[in-house]
Amino acid sequence: MSTQPAMINRYRWHELIGIYAGIFAFLTFILAPFVEGFLVSLKPLSQLFSSPYRFIPQNGSFEAYRTMWVSVPGFARYIFNSFFISTIVTAVVLMLVVPAAYAFARFKFKGSGHLLGAFLAVNMFSGAVLLIPLFRLMRSFGVLNTYFAIIVPGVAFLIPSAIWLLRTYMMRIPKELDEAAFVDGASHFYTLRRVILPIAMPGITVVAITTFIGSYAQQFIYALTFNSKTEYAPLPVGLFAYFGRQEVIWNELMAASFVGIAPAMIVIFFLQRYLVSGLTAGAVKQ
Amino acid sequence: MGQLNLNTVQKFYGTFEVLKGIDLEVKNGEFVVFVGPSGCGKSTLLRMIAGLDETSSGDILIDGKRVNDLPPVKRGIAMVFQSYALYPHMTVFENIAFPLRVEKMQEDKLKAKVENAARILHLDQRLQQKPGLLSGGQRQRVAIGRAIVREPKIFLFDEPLSNLDAALRADMRIELAKLHRQLKATMIYVTHDQVEAMTMADRIVVLNAGEIAQTGAPLELYHKPANTFVAGFIGNPKMNMLPVVCKSVGPGGVEVEYQGQSATIPVEGRAGLVGQPLTLGIRPEHIQFGAADLVMTIAPSVIERLGAHTVAYAALNGEGENFCAMLPGSAAIRTEETVAVGINAADCHLFDAGGIALERRVELTDVDMGLLKAGAV
Repeated sequence: MSTQPAMINRYRWHELIGIYAGIFAFLTFILAPFVEGFLVSLKPLSQLFSSPYRFIPQNGSFEAYRTMWVSVPGFARYIFNSFFISTIVTAVVLMLVVPAAYAFARFKFKGSGHLLGAFLAVNMFSGAVLLIPLFRLMRSFGVLNTYFAIIVPGVAFLIPSAIWLLRTYMMRIPKELDEAAFVDGASHFYTLRRVILPIAMPGITVVAITTFIGSYAQQFIYALTFNSKTEYAPLPVGLFAYFGRQEVIWNELMAASFVGIAPAMIVIFFLQRYLVSGLTAGAVKQ
Repeated sequence: MGQLNLNTVQKFYGTFEVLKGIDLEVKNGEFVVFVGPSGCGKSTLLRMIAGLDETSSGDILIDGKRVNDLPPVKRGIAMVFQSYALYPHMTVFENIAFPLRVEKMQEDKLKAKVENAARILHLDQRLQQKPGLLSGGQRQRVAIGRAIVREPKIFLFDEPLSNLDAALRADMRIELAKLHRQLKATMIYVTHDQVEAMTMADRIVVLNAGEIAQTGAPLELYHKPANTFVAGFIGNPKMNMLPVVCKSVGPGGVEVEYQGQSATIPVEGRAGLVGQPLTLGIRPEHIQFGAADLVMTIAPSVIERLGAHTVAYAALNGEGENFCAMLPGSAAIRTEETVAVGINAADCHLFDAGGIALERRVELTDVDMGLLKAGAV
């Protein structure tokens, strides 16, 4: 006799069709712009405005992926800047957020609830609202037109959500592990480093990915406001170079966009190996 | 050495008094079990001894030194948690070695200690595995190994077996008892399982609502429970309690009347009992068929055949509570059929209206040879 439990059909066939149709519609809505962008990057510029519009390119090629480097010679620098800024922002956020989230997850201290609430409130502010005060602040520190001016606001705005995310994850790690380490003489810092950090790695990875993406996406707003030098400008600023006086080189712009996000995709690809569940298996009786 | 003294130890959570002034002495090398129902404060008391919870008032002394304000590691204790609390990303070796790594012990010395602990706990073949691959019993042994390598003065166990299945629990009980003999260390063990308490303890501390209800050797608690709470808590199935009235107090004991019958219970009487309502306690295993000092008729509503014994439950004389009798395995009884059972006065316990026991005339050395040898009584 088989010991395999019988599969339970939780949905009827017409319910399944509805579910899959919903998923398909949602994915189409999300992915269609990306597909269209990629197809545009394969088309010659002349074909983009032909009538009737052809969704699938005729004689498509990767020519735009070559010419984009010629049209905007400094484009590699923009990619490097974006990558560099996001990496530093992510590293700084993690350095600050890991101990903070641990403290919020484990210790009851006066005002901790209010502080967490305040973090949430900060996230409700649009970055744009604070641009002018931030500009004045940066100017008074004399850091306009530096990496610093783009990195610091990025860190400040990404910390609150990162603390909330990681705190929630750390609260799921059994407290007995800390207590066992404490009884064995480990300091809080030693416990965090040797016990909690390795177990929290999936949570930390999620925070790293969301912070990296968040920084990649929002850095242009700081770069446009606090920086006017090409040498510190990130990718989104660089993309404006494809907007000429007479025309926009759409196929190269799309190609540059895809090339620009490639480093981020590679980072996420390597980080996701840490997104494994079940790291606490065997720690405590579940 | 590993002597523990608790002097009027109290614990408050806000205004709620969880522990109401605990006084206790645990001798070096003793195996003491804290037992009691959920919420009685036994785990809180253990955590206070460990240094994981603060003491509201009173003193905790280990080898005569007040340790209230010392962190756990400086108290000379090691603790085994109910949930194992193993580090899932570390191998068994690294889990056991953890406290030694914290104190930065030399590698060769550390290795020797871990391997010695693994040998004692039969984990030699598992040292390179991670906890996720181990069974519940093996995991708990790793947790014990982590405590052993520290060579503490006092081992603290917080319900370490309650997550294991019944068979494994029985095996681990034996292993822990052996370990205690081998290490000769002081062990304090918290459980709500009276079988664990009875089988492993040199001395049991029964806690009820934040107070010590009684302290004593396992058989002392069984034969001479100090009050109705301990009488009901120790022993399985629990002791039957019958309402009786005191007729007289004499040199032979206290004469009571139950349902028109009289019996003289061999307990120490005292003045002022005559005419008072008392509670007569009788353990299910002391109920027998046929003639006895007190006889009653029961019609069992539920019968449990356990092989060695038959347990019969019956509502007695229209009283709501179930009367329980443990009869021979092949007892000729059927549900809803009346049967006469009897109890002997010598097996009975008697409690006053406040639930306090009138002392039974039982020499503890007669019922527990261990006490005679140890000279504890």
